[in-house]
Amino acid sequence: MRTVLAIAWVELRRFLADRSNLFFVLILPLAMVAVIGWQFGSDRSGAPVSVQGPGGAATQALVAGWEDADLAVTVRTTPELVQEDVSRGSAEVGVLLDAEAEAAYRDGIPMELEIISGSSSEAPAVAQVVRAQAEAVATEAAQVGLLETFGDEAEARAALDDASTLVPPAQLLVQQPEDPVAVAFEGVEQFDTGAVAQLLLFVFLSTLNAAPALIKARRDGVVRRTMAAPVTTTQAMAGLTAGRVVIALVQGAYIMLASSLLFGVRWGSLGVALLVLLVFGLVAAGVAMVIGVLVDSEGAASGLAVGGGLVLGAVGGSMVPLEFYSDTLRQVAQLTPHAWANDAMAEVQRQGAGIADVLPQLGVLAAMAVGVLVLGSLLLRRSLARAM
Amino acid sequence: MTTPVLQVDALRRSFGPATVVDGVSLRVDPGETVGLLGPNGAGKTTTISMIAGLLRPDDGSVRIQGVDMAKDPLAAKRHLGLVPQDLAIYPELSARSNLFFFGRLQGMRGTALRRRVAEVLDVVGLTDRATGASKTFSGGMKRRLNIAIGLLHEPRLLILDEPTVGVDPQSRNAILESVEALSGEGMAVLYTTHYMEEAERLCDRIGIMDAGRVIAEGTRDELVEITGGADTVTLVGEGPLDEVEVAVAGIPAVREVRRVAGERRLVMMVQGAPQAISAIVATATGAGMTLRDVETSRPDLESVFLHLTGKALRD
Repeated sequence: MRTVLAIAWVELRRFLADRSNLFFVLILPLAMVAVIGWQFGSDRSGAPVSVQGPGGAATQALVAGWEDADLAVTVRTTPELVQEDVSRGSAEVGVLLDAEAEAAYRDGIPMELEIISGSSSEAPAVAQVVRAQAEAVATEAAQVGLLETFGDEAEARAALDDASTLVPPAQLLVQQPEDPVAVAFEGVEQFDTGAVAQLLLFVFLSTLNAAPALIKARRDGVVRRTMAAPVTTTQAMAGLTAGRVVIALVQGAYIMLASSLLFGVRWGSLGVALLVLLVFGLVAAGVAMVIGVLVDSEGAASGLAVGGGLVLGAVGGSMVPLEFYSDTLRQVAQLTPHAWANDAMAEVQRQGAGIADVLPQLGVLAAMAVGVLVLGSLLLRRSLARAM
Repeated sequence: MTTPVLQVDALRRSFGPATVVDGVSLRVDPGETVGLLGPNGAGKTTTISMIAGLLRPDDGSVRIQGVDMAKDPLAAKRHLGLVPQDLAIYPELSARSNLFFFGRLQGMRGTALRRRVAEVLDVVGLTDRATGASKTFSGGMKRRLNIAIGLLHEPRLLILDEPTVGVDPQSRNAILESVEALSGEGMAVLYTTHYMEEAERLCDRIGIMDAGRVIAEGTRDELVEITGGADTVTLVGEGPLDEVEVAVAGIPAVREVRRVAGERRLVMMVQGAPQAISAIVATATGAGMTLRDVETSRPDLESVFLHLTGKALRD
């Protein structure tokens, strides 16, 4: 074990000795989280919303509320027109009110709205704005209703307090049989999705940086010298891998903490998220070892690591969310560790999943890790016989 | 009979159809320095790799301090210090950090490791530079650190694979003095080189390797005896060297003549060079050679190699 730790410690020191690594590990990922978050959810002004309702007080109040929130509201005469607006993409979100909703609004009791979310990447965020504004309007109506039942000011104030705490927000029914995307992103905040995607993308890229480092160690003869000591190939591989996985975990924990503090990103169970990251980091370290043993040129390995890491990230949902993929592309994505890790992290983040819930994803990632690490170990042994 | 520190028997290794090491046997006793001398590509480094447990032989055995490398590699490696031909150090780390790391790989810990690191830094003259990143070192200093790592755990057998390649004369001399001191302390040393002078200076016994085989082994004097005491004469110049080669070969004192590949140079083994030199020069110039230089030398390992293989060591 001490041998493994000694090798891991040296890997860490070598990594830290190159100051440029700190930029790619600590600064760039957070910058990307910020940029993607701002693109995804910063400015919803002017987003088109199509509404159909009886035209009573509820309809008028909701339309006014959404317009106050800078949404471009179009009032339609039939539900079919609203559906058409959404399906054609001329509205990000459609909202349907019926007479019961009008009556509930009038009576200050929970009302039901039907929200139809579009398929664009903007739609979930616009739906969030629609929902939040509807809740505010419904709550205000309930408060006003309560106030009107009391005569003097003291009673009115007490009633207002009651309304603030007791009156439930408007109950919204999201229509979704045709739109699983809206379900997947329900409750997702501006920076959440980008943070997970960038976390996995950059952890993988940083860990693949072990490949050129291993080639340099092989070329310098350090690997041969290490193997001439009383060290087994397994110990050497474990040490090399451990060093990189520690870097991955530190980087991951840093991105989680910083994005949480700076952008309010929610990560769900930190322990489960870190476990997913650990197994994902093992896959990345294994891939790095395989590249580092198969390729003899540091430049080629760097290119392969960056290019391969970006392609795997893109296919695996770290650039465009997996929820937007077609079924075929989704199946292709499942060949990448990113897809499984993104899936697991999404469940942890959005649905508060525990270890048991993400066991399938962890199992697949663990199998991938074992595969590449065993392959790397065998190749490392073979590489000792090969001159560089 | 003394148990040898290193016993190598009939080592053989092929890469594809090429047999790189073909039946090499060696023995190194405590306090003895044995050299493996041969040109680049002779199979020295492959032999070293098998002795160090880095490469599995196709056939044959390696025993270090009586431990069979194939059966218990970790135990055998504990007796072994390897100084590879490459500068096998982490350039990002200081000399001290490199030594601590490789010491830990050898199972050393705590006070014993700290004491030993200080000792070897002193031995190789790097105490003053112990904390600076080794990438800032000169080539000679890196070579010395390379050797210090091999010495750290006080191995019974130290293998030095071409340790002076690319170093300045001053550092080379310092390295050779260190090796001499080590064998004086009882360490067994296996030293590979293609520099004849180093082998002659350091080694108690020398194995001459060519094309994967040890073609001769013995002390320096025993090996030189193989040539029958012939001197080496080298003619350097221009002209029809093929014709000159034939002409000088006809002189009775000249035993062998070889052209050095790619150079305008003829090397010959001559019995009694001082007496024959004027005839050789006259014959060469008579055959059309314009001489630039004539060198004569007493029998040495170069002439042994030439005698045995028909090639110069540098070929």
